Formats: sequence, structure tokens, C-alpha cells
Amino acid sequence: MKLIRKLLFSREAKWRLLVALPGVVIGLVFLLSALHYSIRIKEYGKASEILNENVLIIHRKVIAGSTLKLTKTDFTTSDLEYIRENDFVVDVQPIESNNFRVWLETKDEQIPQFKTDVFLQAVPDKFLDVKSEKWRWQNGDRFVPIIMPRDFIVMLNTFLSSSGMPQLSDELVQEINFGILLSKNGKREWYNARIIGFTNEISSLLVPVNFMNYANEKFAEGQAGKTTQIMIAAKKGRFGELETFMEENGLEAKKSQVLISRLSSAVGTLFLVLMMIALVTVFTAALVLIQYLQLLMSNNDYEIRTLLRIGVSERLIISRLSGFVLSIFGLFSVLSLLLFVIVKWKIDDLFQTGGIYLNKEFSYTTFIGFSLVVVIFILASFLTARRGVKQRFR
Amino acid sequence: MKEVATKSDGFWRNEIKIEKGERVLLNAASGKGKTSFTHIVAGIRHDYEGRFFIQGKDAKLLSNRDWTKIRSTEIAFIFQDLQLFPQLTLLENLKLKSAITNFTTEKEIMSFVERLGLSTHLHQQAGILSMGQQQRVAIIRGLLQPFSLLIMDEPFSHLDAENTRLAMELIDERRKEQNAGFVLTTLDPTRICEFDTELFL
Repeated sequence: MKLIRKLLFSREAKWRLLVALPGVVIGLVFLLSALHYSIRIKEYGKASEILNENVLIIHRKVIAGSTLKLTKTDFTTSDLEYIRENDFVVDVQPIESNNFRVWLETKDEQIPQFKTDVFLQAVPDKFLDVKSEKWRWQNGDRFVPIIMPRDFIVMLNTFLSSSGMPQLSDELVQEINFGILLSKNGKREWYNARIIGFTNEISSLLVPVNFMNYANEKFAEGQAGKTTQIMIAAKKGRFGELETFMEENGLEAKKSQVLISRLSSAVGTLFLVLMMIALVTVFTAALVLIQYLQLLMSNNDYEIRTLLRIGVSERLIISRLSGFVLSIFGLFSVLSLLLFVIVKWKIDDLFQTGGIYLNKEFSYTTFIGFSLVVVIFILASFLTARRGVKQRFR
Repeated sequence: MKEVATKSDGFWRNEIKIEKGERVLLNAASGKGKTSFTHIVAGIRHDYEGRFFIQGKDAKLLSNRDWTKIRSTEIAFIFQDLQLFPQLTLLENLKLKSAITNFTTEKEIMSFVERLGLSTHLHQQAGILSMGQQQRVAIIRGLLQPFSLLIMDEPFSHLDAENTRLAMELIDERRKEQNAGFVLTTLDPTRICEFDTELFL
């Protein structure tokens, strides 16, 4: 039935579509990008949060001093008791630190050798939200899982960049083999290590509590380390009281813990606004296409009526009419997808340059959102064509 | 059947029945409702009072899909105002209709075109053909589908006697092949064809 296509579409001024099509392309590219990065940035923020909700890492303001006699920067057992007595506090625990020397070095043929002194800390598991099965250590294990401060990747990538090596994403960093050397008074022990996650909340290397206890016992020879940081779990909805308490007692939370989540939230909101603008753009462009379809039917009123009178089925005419705008929309949707791939590649590059290593895989949710827009347009154009043809049947 | 617009006497207020294969001449002056009647029979108009049955079914209860089937396999129509597609060529107009049912071969189409003297205009746009030529195209188009009733609404109004005779010969041939009847509306019945029933409006 090529003749029906010739009959209905050969006289149409297709330049009218030029008004709508840039809108479709720009709108869809914006929509795909906004959807993709809203998801990835949310994941990025979440992936870096290993602490349970309502948990803060607290240390002393060095210059402050009042109730707790802050001429020192560590916490004593009685300090912890004093904090625990507060009604809004669920639990308080010291963050354990190493009391011996620790080196971390790369032990991977693919990576140039890199060795540095590091500082280990351990946090009771009940404060953590780490889902990896690798997050465990028992006496005798040669492998130690570590959670890295995200700043470490920036440092590592700066090092790799200066060595002429390509920079590494979160996923690749987790593939690197590291070695940990524990040492004190001539005693040395090597362990294999791998990064199993990242955090913005803790500034040192996080290891399982079992490993820290074992290492402190063996290398610190019973000397208790000073507690300079503590973890406080507050009751839900009573963070305000905790903040007031901290202010009154010269305590403060780690700033980056708050900053990163605020930044992630701000960028997420930005992409959300972009997504709304993109939706309006796509909706407007789709509306122009639907109006083009209505104009097409109006201009071909005689042809459609006559086709129906000589026995051509409604279904065939509806499929030809909606198929015409759908093929145009489909073509430009594919073009939008290709453009999105290019735009994504550029944006990922920009984020990476800025030290933010997002998951680079395409998210399924993005394509589900995209498919939803396409399905809605298919439905709208089909229903418009159906209504127009049915009106002309009788 | 009572026609809304004219409310004239004649068969509008009476019951009539057309049998399969019956040849009906509908004889009336202009404005008496001949075209309205044919459009009601073909399901194009539904604004009538009374009842109209087609193959035992109330026409008002038929769906669009039913009407599409009837228009493509049961009732063929030669329109008074021709209803060709002026932007398509003569051949394209015929091929478009033929493609709906694939009832007639291309060879047969070419033979009909030749018999009605249109061979030299095959690739001309229908819109630039003379009214007589367009009317012959409309007649051929009406004969390309299977039918049990052929409705002809003043089909020879632009044809001379010789072309009318040739067209009627072709119509009779196709009609007999399918044992079909016809409803022919005309202002002047004297010179056209044989018929079984004559209705007046």
C-alpha cells in the first residue's frame, strides 16, 4: 500500500517538522543525561556512606574548652560516659587507631610502585553499613579488607598521572593488589590488602575491628592508644540536640562528611531541575509533532474519507498516519541516544578530571525512563490518528 | 424508510427489499434523495429515521469494521461525484483500489482500461483528465472488487451514448460473473439498460 503513503504524505510541507525535531533531540538528550546522572550521583553519594544513619564521627575543637576541660584532644572513659548519659544518644564508641607504624604499598605489576605511611582506624561493625562479604578478618587470615578515604583515590590518580599512567576509576582501584606492612621495634608482618569500598566520612584507612585488636595487641604491646575520635549514634530526629550538645562542649563533626553529602544533594537537585526542563522540552516538541499529525489529517480530509469509502480499513490508515510521525520520532530518538553517548562520555571525563569517579555504565533506569517517553508518544500519536480517522468514517 | 432532508413521498415511507442479483432502477428528479439513499445503503450516512437491514442485520448496529468489509467485498460503489484521487495517476487510482482485495489481476485492469478507451492516459494524473474520462476511471474502479450489489449513482452523466454502451457492457459482464445485482440512479432511464424493478421517489 505504498500508494496510500504517496497519497497522504507527498504534498506535506515537511519543513514544518524542523520546528519540532531539534526540540525532540535536545529534550531527549537532556532527559537521558539528567536521568543518568541523577542516578549515578545519588549512587556516588550513597556508595561513600559507610556509616549507618544518625551516626557522626566526633572530635574535639582544639581551641575550645569548658565542661570537659578541653586542654587535651583525646577522650577518656569518663568523657565517653558523660556523653552516653544524654537522652538523645543511643551509643558512643571510641574509634580505635593503630599504635605502631603501618605502610601501605602497591603490589601489582600493572601499577608503578607506590609506598606511604598510613594511619589505620577501626569502627565497631554496628555503626557501619558495609554490605560486602569481604568485610571480615579472623586471626590467621593473610588478606585484610580496607575501606579507603575517597581523597586517597585523588592522591593515587595524581601519582599515576605524574607517572604517565592513565587514571583509575573506583572499580579499577578495587582490582589493585596492595600490601600492608605492620612494624614496631624490629617486628614486621606483611598482609595482602584490597580496597573494598570508599568513604568520605573517615580520613584514614578503615580495617575490621578484629584486625585492629590483633595488631594492637601484637605490635603496640598492650599500650593503649589515645582516643581522638569517637562515634556517636543519635536517636532519630534528635540530631539538633546532639549539635547543641557538641557546640556547648567544644566538639565537632568531620566537615567533609557533611560537605560531600550536601554537594551530592546539590548536584542531584541540579540534575533534577534539568530533568524537569527536559521533560517540558520533550513534551512541547511531542505536542508539535502531534499537532502536525492533526494538520496532516485535516489537509487530507478528502483523501481519508474517500479511502474509507472505497473499503480501505481504518486500521491501515491509522497505522500509516501514526507510523509516519513515529518513524520521524524514532529516527530522532536514535539520534538522541547517539548524542547522549557522546555527551555522557564528555561529562564523565569532566567529572573524572574533577576527581569524581562515577560508575560509567549506562543505567537501566535511564533507558526505562527513555522507553516510557517513547511509549507515551507512541500511544499519543496512535490515539490522535485513531480519533481523526474514526471521526471521518461516517 | 423516511429520509430526513426531503421528506418526500415515494419509497421513503414504505418498505422495500432488494434481492441478490436484482437490478433496480431508481428514477427521480434532482433533489429527491437518490444520492442520500445510495449513501445510506453504503453506510456513509446514518442520519435517517426508520430501519435498514443489510444481509438481515440492522445497519445501525454494524461496526466500522463491518462496514469496511461490506464496502470492500459486498457493495461496490460508483460515486456521482467520482471520488477519485486527483493527485494520483489513472493507473494508481485503479491499483490502490485493487490492492484492497487483490480480486482483479493487473492484466484484467489493463483490459478494462483499454475497452473504455483510456489506455493512452494511464500515467496522467486523474485530476487533469476530462470529466468523461474521470467517470470511466470511476466506473472501472467500482468493478475491481468482489460485490453482490453494485451501486451506481448517475454513473453515465458525463458520457456520450457510445461510451455509456461500452461501460454498461463491462458492468454487465462483471455483474454476471458474480451473480450480483445493482441499484442505478438516473434522471433519464430511457437509454441505459434493462432492469427488474423500478423505484420512484
